[in-house]
Amino acid sequence: MDKQKLAAEFEACRGPLKSYILRMTTSSQDTEDIVQDTYLRAHAKLESFKGDSSLKTWIFAIASNLAKDHLRAQKRWPENVTDICREKAMANQPFFQEAMQIRQTSPQGKFEIAEHIAFCFTCVSKSLPLEQHLVLLLKEVYDFKIKEIAQIIDQTEAMVKYYLHTGRSTMLRVFDKRCSLINKKGVCHQCTELNGIFNPDQNAQEAVVRIKMAREAHKADKQHLFDLRMEVVRGIDPFESDASDLQLHHLEHNRQVMENYLKNK
Amino acid sequence: MTIPSFSAQNGKANTVKKTFSRQTSIRIDINSDASVIWTLLTNASDYPRWNSTINSLEGEIKKGEQIRLKVHLDPKRTFKIKVREMEPEKRMVWGDGQGTRTFTLSKNKEGVWNFAMTEKIGGLLYPLYARMIPSFDEAFEAFASDLKKEAELIVNTKN
Repeated sequence: MDKQKLAAEFEACRGPLKSYILRMTTSSQDTEDIVQDTYLRAHAKLESFKGDSSLKTWIFAIASNLAKDHLRAQKRWPENVTDICREKAMANQPFFQEAMQIRQTSPQGKFEIAEHIAFCFTCVSKSLPLEQHLVLLLKEVYDFKIKEIAQIIDQTEAMVKYYLHTGRSTMLRVFDKRCSLINKKGVCHQCTELNGIFNPDQNAQEAVVRIKMAREAHKADKQHLFDLRMEVVRGIDPFESDASDLQLHHLEHNRQVMENYLKNK
Repeated sequence: MTIPSFSAQNGKANTVKKTFSRQTSIRIDINSDASVIWTLLTNASDYPRWNSTINSLEGEIKKGEQIRLKVHLDPKRTFKIKVREMEPEKRMVWGDGQGTRTFTLSKNKEGVWNFAMTEKIGGLLYPLYARMIPSFDEAFEAFASDLKKEAELIVNTKN
């Protein structure tokens, strides 16, 4: 394996790798650092790559280990993270002013409900234990096979299936209880509420109907609805989408709120 | 040591009553992986998700730790139980002043995992309160069946 091939492969997977690390850390700065450290480590350890997996899998394994080291000491976010952060945001005038500024000036400052669904998943999935979170992202969002994930997190395939199953089951339960898009009794309406603030010209109901998960909510089973949610998440690159500046600003707000919340808990 | 009743029918509970004790046992074959079965048995907070007999289980299932268990059979009561023995993927013993529950995992000749669970309650005062303790048979059967269903579902996840 030569270093030119590594550089080319790294560039090819840089986009997914960045969004994967962002979804783990919720910090753009930490993401940049971990992605850079991943490259440096891969470069330094290239001789140890024996080809037992694809180069992409090997790169994701290095990045996952760095992210795990970074996150291990951090507490999990609560399942009702969006409620807690909403309350803080409502009392934070500068946050809304900055967001409005981004909305008006940035070409990547649009508000779309689908983008918020992906953002919401990033926040809520931080309530999972670390291994379940990693495995869920790798399988459902980045389309790795069970065998590849076992190589990435250095676990047996059976345990990867356990983490996937429990992570999925937990997310399914949380979203079923909370998300008003799939359950009329759901307590969270944040995506449509924010649509009213940031995109008042767009009718929220018309926008919701364009999302397959919401359209099929009344007839589809919970597993299928979760698959549709993952389809939305897969379709959005949090660094490149039309709403990335707005969503990254919002994510940074939530990260800071959670840091303080967990510190004082 | 409490020995599971291996004569018990697969998935069917068996209770032996004596003057000073009562012992309920169950065994069931599970086509899964030992690590998955064991993780299900030792992840306390995850129990209510898959186990229909348990309302909540708090604490860490590690040797020497105390766990707080609430069950459907007696939902108002919290059982404070100590994890007395732990041999990963083989054997685990929980107990309190009244009884001892032993979980064992072993592989049969066909490569299928056999889960066994036995609870022995008793003591000198046992005859005084014996009538107040409900039968464990149904709860044991549900526990074993839930464990089998969940562990087999997990390993059958698509690759």
